Amino acid sequence: MTGGEELAGGYRGAGPAPGDVDLDRVWLGVAAQVWRRRPGPVERAAARLLRSPGLARALVTTPSLLLAWVIATVVILIAGIGFTVGTGTPWVALVAPPVAAAGIAYAYGPGIDPAWELSQSMAVSDRMVLLARALAVFGLNAALGLAAAAASGAAAAVTFGWLVPMTAVCALALAAATVTRSPNVGVAAGAAGWAIAVLAGQAADGRFTAAVTDSEFVLPYLAFAACCGVVVLLATRIPRGTS
Amino acid sequence: MNVELTELTRKFGRTRAVAGVTLEAGPGVFGLLGPNGAGKTSLLRMMATVLPPTSGTLRLLGRDPGSYGPRREIRRRLGYLPQSLGYYPGFTVAEFVEYFALLKDMPPGRVPRAVAAAIEHVGLGDRARAKLRTLSGGMLRRVGIAQAIVNEPELLLLDEPTAGLDPEQRVAFRALLREFGKRATVIVSTHLVEDVAAACTEVTLMDAGRLVFHGTPGELIAQGEGHGVGDAPLERGYSAVLAAARS
Amino acid sequence: MDDDALIAAVAHGDDTALRELFSRHAPWLAGRLRAVLPAAEVEDVLQETFLGVWRGAAGYRPEGSAGGWLWGIARRQAALWLRRRGPAELLLPALLAADGRDPGDPAEAALSRAELARAVRALGPEGGTARETWRLVYVEDKSVAEVARLMGVSVGTVKSRAHRARRLMRAALRHHQPAREGGGQ
Repeated sequence: MTGGEELAGGYRGAGPAPGDVDLDRVWLGVAAQVWRRRPGPVERAAARLLRSPGLARALVTTPSLLLAWVIATVVILIAGIGFTVGTGTPWVALVAPPVAAAGIAYAYGPGIDPAWELSQSMAVSDRMVLLARALAVFGLNAALGLAAAAASGAAAAVTFGWLVPMTAVCALALAAATVTRSPNVGVAAGAAGWAIAVLAGQAADGRFTAAVTDSEFVLPYLAFAACCGVVVLLATRIPRGTS
Repeated sequence: MNVELTELTRKFGRTRAVAGVTLEAGPGVFGLLGPNGAGKTSLLRMMATVLPPTSGTLRLLGRDPGSYGPRREIRRRLGYLPQSLGYYPGFTVAEFVEYFALLKDMPPGRVPRAVAAAIEHVGLGDRARAKLRTLSGGMLRRVGIAQAIVNEPELLLLDEPTAGLDPEQRVAFRALLREFGKRATVIVSTHLVEDVAAACTEVTLMDAGRLVFHGTPGELIAQGEGHGVGDAPLERGYSAVLAAARS
Repeated sequence: MDDDALIAAVAHGDDTALRELFSRHAPWLAGRLRAVLPAAEVEDVLQETFLGVWRGAAGYRPEGSAGGWLWGIARRQAALWLRRRGPAELLLPALLAADGRDPGDPAEAALSRAELARAVRALGPEGGTARETWRLVYVEDKSVAEVARLMGVSVGTVKSRAHRARRLMRAALRHHQPAREGGGQ
C-alpha cells in the first residue's frame, strides 16, 4: 500500500484540525453510538405496549423481576409441588401468596431505590413505575403459581381460588412497604398477615387450606385489598421530607 | 420568568421549614445560601415538584405544578440534583444517565447523543462504561450533575453540587453553570460562598425559612462593609446579613 | 500507549482507547479530508471513520502503520459518501464546462444528463482507474499532485490516465466511435 507508507512518515507533522471542522461534535457522534445501550426484545415490546420507553426501562430493572429472584420463586414453587404431591395438601396455593407479596414489596420504594428522591422528580412518575412493577410482579407470580398448581395436580377448585387471597396479601405488603418506606417491613407484614389468615381459617374450619378454598372469604379479601390500595395511593401522594 | 414563588410556605408538623418566600427568577445563575436548617433543601424540593407547598403559590416554567399534566410538562424540562443522590452500583455511568434521560420522557432517538454530551460535559468521558461502584465520591457527584443536565433543562436545581469536587473540577463546574445560565434558570444551593461569587448573577440568602437577602453578589459584599465576621468580602456580607436578620 | 496497542485495546472493546486514538488522529485526518470534501461532510465522514475503527479494529495487522490504516478507512468512507451523492449531479457541471456548453437551458441540461450517463459508462466499471481518475481530476478539481497521492501513483501516470478518460468520454458523447466498454488499464 504505497499510499499508506507515504502518509505514515508525514502525518505527525500535519498540523491542527481545519478551523471549520468541529471535532468535539464529531466525537459526540462517535461516543453516542459506542456508549449506547441497545434494549432487549422484552424491553422493546414493553415500550411499545406501555407507550413509554422510560417506563419500560424501569420495568425491566425491577429488582424482583431479575433472573435470580425469578429462579428463587420457581424453586420455592417446585418445592411446593413436591410437598403437594407428597402430602395431598395444596402447598402451592399456600406458598404462592407470600412469595408474591415479597416480590411486590421488593419491586419499588425508598428502601429499594437508592435514587428515590430523584425518581420522585421524574416525568414518568414514581406512582406509574410502582403500578407497572407491581402488576408485572403479580402477573408473573400468578402465572408461575398457576403453572405450579396445574403441575401438582391439586383439586381444581383451588387452582384459581388462591389468586384472590394473593391479591390481598400483596396489597398488604405493598401498603406496609410504602407507608414505612421499608421493603422488609412489607415482606414481614405480608407474611404475618398471611399466616394469620391461614391460622384463622384453620381455627374456624379445621383445615389449613380454609384460607384459600372457602369462597366466603372472597369479598373480605377483595375489600381488604381495596383498602390497602387506597393506603398506597395516599402514601405515594404525600412525599414526606425532613428539612 | 421561569420561577415565580409567592408567599410560599412549607410546614412539617409545627415547624415552618419555608416561611413565606417570594421570589422571581428568569434565566441566569442564582445562588441559594444559608446555614443548615435554613430551608434551602425544602425550597429546592418544592421547585423540583417533589414536595408540595403547604400554602402560597408556585409557578414553574409558566405552569402550576399542582395538577398532573402541567407537572409532567415541568418535569420534562427540569434538571434536579438532590443533596444526597444514591446510585445503582451495577449500572455504568452511561446507563445511569440514560435511565433518567428516559424517565424524563426524552425521545429515544435523541437519548444516545444527549447522554454522550452530558458525560463529556462533566469530564467523565473516560469512564462512560465504568460501573458506578468503581467511582469516587466526586465522580459520583459529577454523574449526578450529568443526569441533571442530560435533557438540557430550562430549570436546573442543584443541591450542594460541588461536594467532593476538587478545585479544578469546581472551576469546570462553574463554567458549566454560566453556560446553562444563558438559557435556563439555574439555582444552586451551596455552603461554599466562593462558588457563589464566581458564577452567580444573583444571590439569595435564607435563614430560618425566611428570605433575608436577595440581590447581586456585589450588593451582598456591600452589606458586609465595616461589620461582619469573615475572611472574604462575600463571607462578611453573609454574616452581616444573618446577624441583622436575627437581631 | 502506542497506536498499535491502542488499536488492539479497541479490538477488545476498550472505548477509552478509541477516545485516545480520536484525540491523536482526528485532527490530521480532518485536515486531509477537508482537502477533498466540504466541512460539514468532513464531520460526517470522520464520524463514520471512527465508528469503522470501533467495529473493525480486530482486522488491523500491526506490521502496517496505524496512520495508513486509519487513512484507508477514512478514504473508503469518503468514497462511499461521494458515491451516495450520485454521479450525475457532480459530473454534469464539470463535464459541460469542459465541453464549453452552458447548461442554462433545463431541457438541454436534461438531455445532457442522459448523454452524460452514457459517456460515464464508457469509462468502465465504477471504481476502476479510468472512472476514479476522471472523478478526482475533473469533478473534484483536485490538483494532479493531490490525485497522485490519493491514488498512490506517479504524477505522470495520473496525467496519462486523465487524458485517456477525456478521450473516451468525448468519443462517447460525439457518437463518432462506438463507446468502448470495460476500458480498464
